[in-house]
Amino acid sequence: VTLAGTALGLASAAALVGCVAGFVLPRRSRVVVATLATALVGTGATAAGLGVLLTGDHVTARWPEILPLAGVTIDLDPLGAWFVLAAGAVIVPVAVYAYGYCDHALTGRAVQGLLPVFAATLVLVPAAGSMSTFLVLWELMAMSSLVLVAAEHGDRPAVRQATVWYGVMTQLGFVAILIAFGLAAAGTGHETFAAIRHDAPTLSAARASTIFVLALAGFGSKAGLVPLHVWLPRAHPEAPSHVSALMSGAMVSLGAYGVVRVAIDLLGGGPRWWGVLVLALGVASALFGILHALVASDLKVLLAYSTTENMGLVFVGIGAAVLLAAVHEPALAGVALAAALLWVLNHAVFKALLFLAAGSIARSTGTRDLDRLGGLMKRLPVTATMFTVGALAIAGLPPLNGFVSEWALFQTLVRAGGRPPDVLGLTMPMAVGAVALTAGLAAATFVKAIGTGMLAMPRSPEAERAVESPVPMLAGMSVLASACLVLGLVPGLLASGLGRAVRAAGGRGEPLGSGVAELRLAGARGVISPVLLAVALLVGLVLVLGVARALGGSRARRRAENWGCGRVLQTARMEYTAISFAEPLQRVFSDVLHPQHDIDVTHAAESRWYVEAVQYRASIADGIDERAYQPAVGALRWWGERARALQNGSVHRYLAYGFGALLVVLVVAR
Amino acid sequence: MSLFDKIRKVGRIAEAPIVSAAGPVPEAARRLRGSLQIRAVDAGSCNGCELEIGSAFGPHYDAERYGARLVASPRHADALLVTGPVTHNMATPLRKTFEATPAPKLVIAVGDCACDCGVFKGAYGVAGAVKDLVPVDAEIPGCPPEPAVIVAELRRLTGR
Repeated sequence: VTLAGTALGLASAAALVGCVAGFVLPRRSRVVVATLATALVGTGATAAGLGVLLTGDHVTARWPEILPLAGVTIDLDPLGAWFVLAAGAVIVPVAVYAYGYCDHALTGRAVQGLLPVFAATLVLVPAAGSMSTFLVLWELMAMSSLVLVAAEHGDRPAVRQATVWYGVMTQLGFVAILIAFGLAAAGTGHETFAAIRHDAPTLSAARASTIFVLALAGFGSKAGLVPLHVWLPRAHPEAPSHVSALMSGAMVSLGAYGVVRVAIDLLGGGPRWWGVLVLALGVASALFGILHALVASDLKVLLAYSTTENMGLVFVGIGAAVLLAAVHEPALAGVALAAALLWVLNHAVFKALLFLAAGSIARSTGTRDLDRLGGLMKRLPVTATMFTVGALAIAGLPPLNGFVSEWALFQTLVRAGGRPPDVLGLTMPMAVGAVALTAGLAAATFVKAIGTGMLAMPRSPEAERAVESPVPMLAGMSVLASACLVLGLVPGLLASGLGRAVRAAGGRGEPLGSGVAELRLAGARGVISPVLLAVALLVGLVLVLGVARALGGSRARRRAENWGCGRVLQTARMEYTAISFAEPLQRVFSDVLHPQHDIDVTHAAESRWYVEAVQYRASIADGIDERAYQPAVGALRWWGERARALQNGSVHRYLAYGFGALLVVLVVAR
Repeated sequence: MSLFDKIRKVGRIAEAPIVSAAGPVPEAARRLRGSLQIRAVDAGSCNGCELEIGSAFGPHYDAERYGARLVASPRHADALLVTGPVTHNMATPLRKTFEATPAPKLVIAVGDCACDCGVFKGAYGVAGAVKDLVPVDAEIPGCPPEPAVIVAELRRLTGR
């Protein structure tokens, strides 16, 4: 048994203890033990992930007696270990945060008992070595997170609706995955990943493509890809923030894991259209997600749409990898996959940080509406700083981690665009354009979030009275913020592990190289040194400040108020709001967003020429939700109403149904 | 072609050079070395003085010939051209504008109202003359002062 195996075992044991303790212990000690157990799960996961990534040894185990018929098979290879590491990196700080965050409403038995379980499933899903084990853990993950999303259903009715949406979408996805796995198992006659991988070339092309499409739909719904994203902007805002952080940081990444595992690893890649399909879905998700994030004024809805966007970009990388492998560019395909995996880890870290910061803000102000926040940099200095760090990272600014993965993805796409055959020359430049547009809009989105939420004047009494959150919450966020900086400065540390992960997914060669202070994309001839970049930034800053001081030092200085055109008073109502900040861009993209405007003018009773009141309402609905899902829900409801006619409470009628069914069965089975 | 004929017949219509006003030049004006960036502040004027100022900077009198120029913010300005009796509502904005102007700076009171409240002296809405609120370096009397008078005074300050 290796170190990584021991760590994984300890993580599972800690989850069991935490689960039991959460359900059994009294309220006060329950939180302590459950969060401690969750932190241990995260620590074990981080150790296991790092162990496998650094040594390249698999962790394998098999218990035939645990699950009837199939047994439990664990096989943690470097590809899974990368996701285990990402999950572990998020779980530890989230557990620390949860210790401070969970008060009154969130100390219930189910919420505390299922947190370690959810954390453990996030870690164990990528470690599953067979389809049955994977599906059981996947379902356990869905169920435990479903209960956690519903935690605050007593306080807000919206939570119940969000839970239903999440439950339905995740179960539909599960069905798709189940069928895909069933087809794969039936086609190869095996159910362990190793055996399927070995026999996959014997699958017919049609069956392989069916498996791929079903897996893409199932895992895509978990990853929040358009058009299966509708649960994300509902469930993430309504879940408690530490749960949203786990879901958005670690759980949605497992959607990407599933697609990489099935399409690239198990099936060994496929025809070109697989890559183009994944690429197209990724681009659509990225653009759709960021456009809705841009116009969202609810902080957590904004973050949820931004998750769709980031997963879209991850899938751009995965799609590029599949496509490049299909056109026999294995070196570039390896780099593309490496870029996608790097993005998964970075996204896990900064999105968890942003959700935790949003939770801290929502907890101390009682609102998530950006247009009711403001001035938090003075009132919640630590939380607001953490949010800013996360926002700068997600906007892709050096020296933070988002920049590195964005750079790697751009490098790959740009390099691939110049290669034959034509399909690359056609798709890659379009992908580059879409990714660039997404990056720009993401910057605008987070300028909006920081500018209206953290800076400016408080827009509501709640924001005015906000007080800083307890120390454990701040500590959890600080760990993630430091991770953003470290991953941004020395991404080369993980290069060898990332290379192993790519090779475990069937990539060949060494996609990445690294020096002390640089990251090299071996397959794409790109080198970056974030440390030197950071030093250059620092030197530039010091130089500018120094020169300004040296030049202005001799002159007399006078402090004066900011020039505000001589205004006598300033109120929060004069401020730029989140909605008005996004308005110009909303206008540009109105063909996609379809904003709805309503102006109601109430005339005075005496004369129509006098106006009593003018009311303006603007709203932006999710177009896919409105046009595809609402009609579907309406149709289902209509059928449900009709079906009620069948059940009128008459026993005779039920007996008749039974008799009729029996007759049908007899006739059919004759 | 009649338009070109018209232009040829009319020729130059700018006023002959206006003689600079006499008097001592303030130290701050000397430091500006002939370039005077001006922010106009209406502190409660009837807009009579504004018309004359507009005219002084128009093509006919063209004060810009002599180094004076209107700018859009006190942050860009060397001098404030204040008109009108200072009303209660404009007293604070005037002080803030003065604060926002970088030193060395000049304040020029334009019109009788700005100099000593004119006919509005003692009126209920009036806080006082400009010099009651901020230090004044030059005064241009008149109700309203003629553009030529304004330009002459500005020439004294620019020294050009």
